[in-house]
Amino acid sequence: MELTGNEKRIQALFLELKFAEACVAPEFGSLWNRAAATPAASSSVFKLSFALAMSFAVIALFSLVLWSRNWERIQTSTPDVGAVAYQPGALPVVPAVAPGSTQFAIAEQPQRMKVNRSVRRLVTRHRLDANAPSVVIPEAVAISGWRSPTAMLLQSPADDMLTSLPQLDLGVRDLKTFLPETLQ
Amino acid sequence: MDILELQAELEKLHGASFGWALSCCRRDRSDAEEVLQIVYLKILEGKARYRGESSLKTWLFAVIRKTAITEQRKRLLRALKSMAGPGVRPTRNAFAAEPVLALERSEAQQQFQTALERLPARQREVLHLVFYEDLTVREAANVMGVSIGSARQHYERGKKHLRESLDREELDYGIDWKRKANPSAVS
Repeated sequence: MELTGNEKRIQALFLELKFAEACVAPEFGSLWNRAAATPAASSSVFKLSFALAMSFAVIALFSLVLWSRNWERIQTSTPDVGAVAYQPGALPVVPAVAPGSTQFAIAEQPQRMKVNRSVRRLVTRHRLDANAPSVVIPEAVAISGWRSPTAMLLQSPADDMLTSLPQLDLGVRDLKTFLPETLQ
Repeated sequence: MDILELQAELEKLHGASFGWALSCCRRDRSDAEEVLQIVYLKILEGKARYRGESSLKTWLFAVIRKTAITEQRKRLLRALKSMAGPGVRPTRNAFAAEPVLALERSEAQQQFQTALERLPARQREVLHLVFYEDLTVREAANVMGVSIGSARQHYERGKKHLRESLDREELDYGIDWKRKANPSAVS
């Protein structure tokens, strides 16, 4: 490119600048070696971060698989609650035990551990209902025959007068018959 | 191109590359060194690969320019983050940063560099590539990633603005700028 007057002057200034800057330019070898030394550090950092990210991803994936499997197993092993509620005869036969030890009996059976807790509670309740006549009726009889120890304090001599009522069309003499004997 | 062969070619272009990096980093020497080192690193890692689509110099200068812009953005972000802190760099001017160099250089050079810094980036770049690096306007356009027409326009406007700026500074090069006609200047 052929330069004209002003361009030559601008170029002269640029050349002067170029000469001045060439003196302060760093050596190629030092910059190249520094650059060559840098990749190892950067790649190791990258590898470390990549390994961390991969391990997190693997852990997350593994836990997700475990959770989904567990969830699937719970779904398949859950019995039909309606059937349990309306078919008490279909419930597994449990040996007659005291009501307090029912929970222990359930806990001892390994297959029951897989069943959902709410379903287990429901089954226990139904089992208690099935055993109700043998347990509840004697208790009901005992409760109905119970008398309060302070009932005698409520008794008084005027109980007969309070509990008997005169008829409206009777005379005074007839009314006397309704009075207690002590007043006559 | 083999890496050793490429290294030899880069060594030949090292001076020009550093000058271009200086221009892209507003004459800040440490930034220019950092940019050039990152460029060499990119080449070594294969992130920047020469495919022979243009001359090696044009390709290298384009890589330097892109890297300088990226680094400048990063520095700007860092400066914005630490705006309240004491870590903000006070100046990007090489003359202020390096007083010894500033004394060594002539007053005319300082005024010339001040005039250069006042130019818009594109105009400064195209003038540097043409006058400092001896590239053609077409090659400068390739480096800057603009069309040849746009590069020519930046070149003409840059020359005009530089001359006006130097006139304002009343810089005396032993030549009266106003009396000489400039046939290539845009009126």
